Amino acid sequence: MNDILELLTYPFAYRALIAGSLISVCASILGVILVLKHYALIGHGLSEIGFASLSLSSALSVHPMYIAPPSVITASFIIMYVSRKYRTAGDTAIAIASSAALAFGIVVSSLSGTASNMSSYLFGSVLAVSEGDLLLAGVISVIVIASFIVLYNRFFLITYNEDYARTLGINTAVYQLIVSVLTSLVVVMGMKMTGTLLISGVMILPAVSAKIIAKGFRSLVIISGVISFGAFVFGLMMSFVFNIPAGAGVILSNTAVLILVKVLVKR
Amino acid sequence: MTERLKLVDAVIKYGDTPAINGVSLIARSGEMIFITGSNGSGKSTLTKGIAGLLPLSSGTLERTPKMSYVPQYEDADRDFPASAGEIVLTGTQRPGKLFTTRSDREAALSAMSALGIDGLSGKEIRTLSGGQLRRVFLARAVCGKPELLLLDEPCAGLDAHSHEVLFGVLRGLLSEGCAVVMVTHDISDIDGIPEARIIRISHGRIAGNE
Repeated sequence: MNDILELLTYPFAYRALIAGSLISVCASILGVILVLKHYALIGHGLSEIGFASLSLSSALSVHPMYIAPPSVITASFIIMYVSRKYRTAGDTAIAIASSAALAFGIVVSSLSGTASNMSSYLFGSVLAVSEGDLLLAGVISVIVIASFIVLYNRFFLITYNEDYARTLGINTAVYQLIVSVLTSLVVVMGMKMTGTLLISGVMILPAVSAKIIAKGFRSLVIISGVISFGAFVFGLMMSFVFNIPAGAGVILSNTAVLILVKVLVKR
Repeated sequence: MTERLKLVDAVIKYGDTPAINGVSLIARSGEMIFITGSNGSGKSTLTKGIAGLLPLSSGTLERTPKMSYVPQYEDADRDFPASAGEIVLTGTQRPGKLFTTRSDREAALSAMSALGIDGLSGKEIRTLSGGQLRRVFLARAVCGKPELLLLDEPCAGLDAHSHEVLFGVLRGLLSEGCAVVMVTHDISDIDGIPEARIIRISHGRIAGNE
């Protein structure tokens, strides 16, 4: 324990702890909407589209934030629109977009000779979080949490029943777009920390666990955030102790919580 | 009396097949319109069109923005983690209004009380019976103080007492100037409603207006 506390005095460790906690909590809050609206696979799809964008930005030597967020936001909106419009086509749309994007990313990074740089995005490197990343994570977290507080009633309504929201005259497409943008920002930021392959787990697992416990939407959001925070901190500590990749540690912590909740809570 | 709904020559199609074909309808404040007809005649399609959930292929629709709609079947997850009170409160949401106020919460509680479900406020919707859930959706529709209320077979799943309670609430809304359009198979409900009409739909057209 003392070793872990001592480790946290190092800048790279506390940056990882703070940035990772913030992004994990935001991802889990948005994950509530994704799980309840049956968009659980979207985080996975978007992360692979994000990977393709990062490959491209790396090949072009352009800062990733110029390419990744716009591409991921656009893809997110298209996928959510397709899922909503043609319900059965949602998973297919995600599968097609994500595999094509991943293949594109691999080809681009291979041809440009940047494949070795990209492995950190595949598996994540939370301990490589820079001061700039920490600042960006803070800004994204403020945007996500503030949006959730201000638009809580709208998010609840469109998550529960979008048709009913439309009959009240509410422009559901606007809120869909906001969810898409927030999800995309969190996915792009989360990819760096937990990796392309694991970010969807950070979004979905806490919400699934919380859904077993929560008795209302508000408590679901709060419990999801708390589980995500706890699982991130525990997973990070495990990565320090056992010298394993942090992203994998976080996902395994979240999986353990889900199994525990499923066993202990009878509904 | 103020017009709350004006539908002129409405056509609603599923693919190339018209389910509603040239229907015109006006509902004024304080008026209740019973829409009846056999299964598949187009009653629910008509209310969905008025609610804005189905586009008109042709014709015009003008209605008050303060409208509430209770569908025959709620297209939502029965297992959704929400309390009955949370669902009812969504009825107070309107465009441009992001936050719920104390008066919204009071209106939600009052609507639940009027429908005899005030004791269910904190209960999860997944634990409610079909009839209780029906009353939750009715309370949600009522608590927003609508000027136009669309009900698609609201009495399905309600016992005799709940049915009486519902009509008591509807009479109150009508006296406050709300127009009510209700799809029903039981037109005996018209008794005791001062301003009421029955519209019979057959094969997507108005076959009778009494």
